[in-house]
Amino acid sequence: MIEFTPEVANTVITTASYVAAGAAMMAGMGPGIGMGFAAGKATSAVRRQPEARGPIITTMLLGQVISASTGIYSLVIAIFLIYGI
Amino acid sequence: MNPGPQIQFYLFGNELFPITDTLIVGWVSVIIILLGAKYLTSQLSIRPNGKQNIAEFMIELIYQQIEPMLPGEGWRFLPFIATIFIYIGVGNLIGVVPGVTSPTGDLNTTLGLALVVFIVVQYEGMREYGVWGYIKGFAEPVIFLLPINVIGELAKPISHSFRLFGNIVGGGIIITLIYQAAPALIPVPLHAWFGVFVGAIQALIFGMVAIAYISVAKS
Repeated sequence: MIEFTPEVANTVITTASYVAAGAAMMAGMGPGIGMGFAAGKATSAVRRQPEARGPIITTMLLGQVISASTGIYSLVIAIFLIYGI
Repeated sequence: MNPGPQIQFYLFGNELFPITDTLIVGWVSVIIILLGAKYLTSQLSIRPNGKQNIAEFMIELIYQQIEPMLPGEGWRFLPFIATIFIYIGVGNLIGVVPGVTSPTGDLNTTLGLALVVFIVVQYEGMREYGVWGYIKGFAEPVIFLLPINVIGELAKPISHSFRLFGNIVGGGIIITLIYQAAPALIPVPLHAWFGVFVGAIQALIFGMVAIAYISVAKS
């Protein structure tokens, strides 16, 4: 069994946490797709009913905010990985 | 490059009370809001003049966001929601000034605001259904969902605070990187986007989500 010195082990852990932070931010794809989908649907809804523009935009923003939560959680994990080590 | 708040000095020379740059900018934005409110409401009259029109326009704009989601209670929640809107709006927009850090780019500020919203949401839920009735609401429709509902409730202030914090800090990091690569002219449209547009949208969203959480707790 190979014994690592503490310096080597720390370097490996730091490198791995940076790589993992980058990988965690790949979760940004999902909210991006979802929010764009919601915006597209809202655009067609405004096109169908231009007089309901205000409520449609409010509803769209609220839905986008809730679906953006997953991206926020990945950001939290990435920040913990970078600054928490 | 540490994007977090930088400690400027210690209050009373005591290490227990660090004063960060975001805290100082937060105080400055509070003073700006106070002076602005004093100025806009200095000459109130039945027939509004220019300054009073601006104040009434802002208040009615915020009122129109609250009233559809909390019917009949717009005026009751107006002071709380308007405080959130105006403080976060000023705090985000003050970051456009070069060299000034937004107070909302600090997790302490956003988590404090989100915890205040969280407490108000719990209070309103208990006021609507009674303490026991509100707690019992977490165990519906079946008792097995109790842990999931509690975790979902506790995740609200976390996502609420990190949303604002992440947007402001992310924009700040991108602008800092661009400044190191191209210090002249190129960062200007980025300031317009991340500072003005994202700042205004995030202030609106923080207040809207607070209204939505209160409305969910009461329904």
